[in-house]
Amino acid sequence: MSTPKRLVTLRVNGATKEVEIQPGSALLGVLRNDLGLTGTKAACGRGECGACTVLVGGRPVMSCVTLAETVTAEVQTIESISESALRLREAFAEQGAFQCGYCTPGQIVRGFALLSDSSLQDNDDLRKAISGNICRCTGYDPIVGALKTASSRQQQ
Amino acid sequence: MRVIGTRTRRIDWEEMTSGRSRYTSDVPFRDLLVARFLRSPHPHALISRLDVARARRAPGVAAVITASDLGEDVRYHHHGGDLADRPPLAVNKVRYVGEEVAAIAAESAEEAEAALQLIDVEYKLLKPNFTPAESRGRKASVIHEHRPDNVAVRLRRRWGEEVAAPIELRGCYSYGRQSHASMETNRTVAKWDPEASHLDLWTSTQVPYFIRKEVAAALGLDRNQISVREVAVGGGFGSKSKISEHEVIVAALAMKTGGRPVAIEYSRFDEFAHTKPRHRFTVDLAMGADSDGRLLTQDAEITVDNGAYNHYGPSVTSFGCSIMASLYPFVKAHIDADLVYTNTLPGGQFRGYGAPQTTFAVECMVDELADRLSIDPIVFRLRNVHKPGNTTHAGWKIDHTKISECLTEARRLIDWDKRRASSGDGSGVGVAIGIHPSGSHAYEGADRSEARLLVGSDGSVKVFFGGADPGTGQRTLLAQSAAEELGLDPSQVDVEMMDSDRTPFDMGAWSSRGTSMGVSAVRKTARAAADELRSAAGEKAGVESSSVELSDGYAWAKEDRYSLGDLAILVGGPDGFGVEEAYISDTSLVSPDGVADISQSYSFAAHAVAVQVDESTGEITVVDAVAVHDSGTVINPTDAEGQVSGGVAMALGAALGEELQYEQGKVIGPAYVDYALPRAADLPPIRVRLIHGGNPRGPYGAKGIGEIALNPTAAALANAVSNAIGVRVRDLPITPDKIITAIAERDAKVRRWRRARNLSTLWNGVVRWLYPRGLLWVLHRYGRNFARSPSTRPIQSVERPDTIKKALSLVSSPEVAPVGGATDFLVTRQLGLDNRNVVVDLKGVKDLARIERHEGGLIRIGASVTLAELMASDDVPRVLRDTAEQIASPQIRESATVAGNLCQQKRCWFYRSGFDCYKAGGPTCPCYAVIGDHRFYHAAMQAHRCQAVTPSDLATTLLALNAVALVDGPDGSRQLPIEYFYEGPGEPALRHGEIVSALEIPSQSGRMSVFEKLNRWHGDFAIISAAASAVTTEGRFRDTRIALGAMAPTPIRLNAVEEELEGLSFSDPAIEKAAAAWLGEVDPLPANEWKVEAAYGLIKRALRNLERGSSG
Repeated sequence: MSTPKRLVTLRVNGATKEVEIQPGSALLGVLRNDLGLTGTKAACGRGECGACTVLVGGRPVMSCVTLAETVTAEVQTIESISESALRLREAFAEQGAFQCGYCTPGQIVRGFALLSDSSLQDNDDLRKAISGNICRCTGYDPIVGALKTASSRQQQ
Repeated sequence: MRVIGTRTRRIDWEEMTSGRSRYTSDVPFRDLLVARFLRSPHPHALISRLDVARARRAPGVAAVITASDLGEDVRYHHHGGDLADRPPLAVNKVRYVGEEVAAIAAESAEEAEAALQLIDVEYKLLKPNFTPAESRGRKASVIHEHRPDNVAVRLRRRWGEEVAAPIELRGCYSYGRQSHASMETNRTVAKWDPEASHLDLWTSTQVPYFIRKEVAAALGLDRNQISVREVAVGGGFGSKSKISEHEVIVAALAMKTGGRPVAIEYSRFDEFAHTKPRHRFTVDLAMGADSDGRLLTQDAEITVDNGAYNHYGPSVTSFGCSIMASLYPFVKAHIDADLVYTNTLPGGQFRGYGAPQTTFAVECMVDELADRLSIDPIVFRLRNVHKPGNTTHAGWKIDHTKISECLTEARRLIDWDKRRASSGDGSGVGVAIGIHPSGSHAYEGADRSEARLLVGSDGSVKVFFGGADPGTGQRTLLAQSAAEELGLDPSQVDVEMMDSDRTPFDMGAWSSRGTSMGVSAVRKTARAAADELRSAAGEKAGVESSSVELSDGYAWAKEDRYSLGDLAILVGGPDGFGVEEAYISDTSLVSPDGVADISQSYSFAAHAVAVQVDESTGEITVVDAVAVHDSGTVINPTDAEGQVSGGVAMALGAALGEELQYEQGKVIGPAYVDYALPRAADLPPIRVRLIHGGNPRGPYGAKGIGEIALNPTAAALANAVSNAIGVRVRDLPITPDKIITAIAERDAKVRRWRRARNLSTLWNGVVRWLYPRGLLWVLHRYGRNFARSPSTRPIQSVERPDTIKKALSLVSSPEVAPVGGATDFLVTRQLGLDNRNVVVDLKGVKDLARIERHEGGLIRIGASVTLAELMASDDVPRVLRDTAEQIASPQIRESATVAGNLCQQKRCWFYRSGFDCYKAGGPTCPCYAVIGDHRFYHAAMQAHRCQAVTPSDLATTLLALNAVALVDGPDGSRQLPIEYFYEGPGEPALRHGEIVSALEIPSQSGRMSVFEKLNRWHGDFAIISAAASAVTTEGRFRDTRIALGAMAPTPIRLNAVEEELEGLSFSDPAIEKAAAAWLGEVDPLPANEWKVEAAYGLIKRALRNLERGSSG
């Protein structure tokens, strides 16, 4: 019943990876199961919660509803972003912007992409910008606070 | 204190923020098998046949189990006795849709699912009772033989003394079923070692203790044969605070696989459909006071919908009663509570444990009484709250309370007096209080918590603790306590939790006990260790140990300092030393009469919420929320504030939108998209204040905070709404439909709309009349036998053409799905609603990805332009950018395309929840929306057999812009005006082999356009969308075009309105009447009549914004 696998080439976190995948696989499964990058989390599988957010070509996407075979640009996951996003991660820790931590890799990746967008200083805009990332623990205030803290430190 | 009370980073922050924390699914296993469960499709049925022989022989299957493999008398223990009613797998009978009947472990999910189809199971249907009223009715079926009246537990609390209340009010309050919706779904890996006869479990749980206890009992193992291992836990909120329904099953499977590990990982669908939600409470409450505003009496009849089994329903019910009698010192509190079985998903433990439900009732009624007595609600509460030294009717000793300070501070923070004075006309403010124990002595042994602490020869300090930290921050609190006692920084303390072989006894994270029990245990243990270190240092320095100080990682004796490592060797030898202590709280075990001092301290809180209500659309905006808490000494303010703001957000969700709904016993919309939990943009900043002050009975003076965080919020919100519009909504969640309906009743409004009179609406009328009178039943019972079954074929290939020509040659077969971002294609495939197995990705076609501005102002938008690109384009009209901004999320907008948005399938939550409906199953199947929950996402006009609507917001706007779709196909290109783009709900009028290549928008010169949307959360699909476009340059409406989305199966133009508006100046009062000109064309369903009123409101808002935009 299964179809022949197909070899695809992905550029992930600076390295080129050749992976044999089932046609039509979502990027999330390829990252987690085939490449062992388990930092990216699965929480809805339907593009509705943001836990699986990765950057493709620098843009945040939901990897659970991204067809792996259509990805041509570089993929960055939390595993590589965590190094560049140290300031943001520290701000998360200071502000209490994570509790259970399960949405956090997605929040960090999303937030990291946002920090390069200097137009987002307004609270309402920031809140809209992270509305694709559900957090069931914090009530979001600490996350907004962490983004603002990291953003102001970045500008200093 | 150095560490206690200071803002402290989580000690695990580096792993938690870098993706390195290991949750259950991140633990690597070799030869992992995958489990799948066969679940009952029926709400109530006898299992007349169950044969798994064929499934056992299916490819890839390693094990299959049914109740007979476990032993048919096995029950989850829970409360024990005859309250233990739930077998891990159904025995002879199923009692709700989704009940586990059999389980399979196989090499892959696909093989497990294929094998499920080979299980030969037959059911003999029984009549289901879906509501407590049905279960108590004369014609009710008996759900459990040992409870012929379907009442699981009947409580009769008679507390206090009889007293007559001069003023008494009565009201019935209900609090809906809320889902925990933890970000990490329930999951477990079980591994059995046949040689050692030992079971290892990696499970997302708050309570390793209870997992081990229940699994051992169910599988006939000794507890020592089971080890629960440490994993990160992605949220619980009570859902994981006792055993769930999958651990035993997976463990039983693992015992049959020759040592191979077995994993179950719940999907999000499972999580909403099959894990136990908050119990629905209906509280019929009478409360009395005297004319001075002293609360006297409380008489309540509570009905709790238990669902089909007891999962702590008995204790949730009892605790809810204790809470409501303990909020104030009532002279009399008489509470009757019935926990009623229904053929629905069982309720379970959920943060608050009955307290949010009963607090909601009492705290709304307090406001109603205050209102009747013309006393300010805060003043009224200040007159009545508990004072230190009181004992509540439930036996709770209130040694310490700062509730009055909480109320006073909430009043100041929310600017109560000013807001109250200017309330009405849609703005309002409300307050409510809460009480909650800090850990309940709910079981034998729950008053005990142990900890072990090792001081290594290198000076390292490690705490071992048996509970789990599902996100509460308990791990860091434990480290803070050890650090406080040993003179360290918390980051120097390692805390190992959960592992049942390596950690001592603790019952885990529930009942707000993490601080009061866990920190007490670690404090006691760390103090013992500190004593050892001080003695050793004192001996070495020749001073009294009491003069030795521990700080900065050293023991200081006079001028000398000693490293902890050296001292540890002195105390314990080359490996250092360990200390283990047990803390026992001074509390009483819960008693059957509900009277016992179950906790060592009680927390209090006052919440205040300010709202703005739009009376024309029913939308509630929370503009401010403050939460003032008395939780004693706060150990980690960052953490405590986070608990509160998260709790308030969760409670606002329950107050405003979250509710699981069912049809024929089956959950509707088991997905985040259908479940209105708050997103960041839906909430205001939540301002938290912690009133410090030591409580003598808690560790360092601390009390619990996890649950009280959400108890008062819903009532504060409801009180604010009442203050804003003068109408009391007593049934949560307070959704826009309830607001519109309540306002219509308040104003005794004659309804504005008329049902269209034509053949189609007449026919609809007949069918709608017949549906509840047997037609639905016949179609549901028999029509579905002919339903198409959803099928999922694996995708064969994904093609990426780079020219339109190549794309067209590829899409000629019906097997082919042309996709843009494919974000919905992958979802509809999962749901079995799209069976096409060749994907053609159009994003590689450069000609489709451009936005062009032509001479004369024509704008051409390529089909595969993403919504993010649309938003970033200066070439497109602003209204399109505004529309796109309200679609889905930023991440989806990066992938989703313009044509994909137009062509997406309907969002009907029956269609997308696995119901065999007319559209999914075929013409013999019913449309469940006719009498199911159709308040939000169904048509209020022009619908026939299917009540779904077109979900695309862009379509609404493009219709108002007079846009045209360019369609390419085998016969060349054609122009398809948006007006004719749809044949049905989300059904584009594309012929076979055609694709949309672009959209053309005519020149908008001189025109002004706006888009308005009513939805339940930011980014949700529209309940109603409206777009208006007009030439406004003369201060008048000229050539106006108004489009309405989500009201009819396809987006519609309101020609009657457009005509009446023609030439009206912006100030003309006739605009109001013109906006109503379409109201004779509607045909709403019973529960979406409100949408007509709200759509009228939305159109008026659009017209106002059109004027503003053109003058501004």
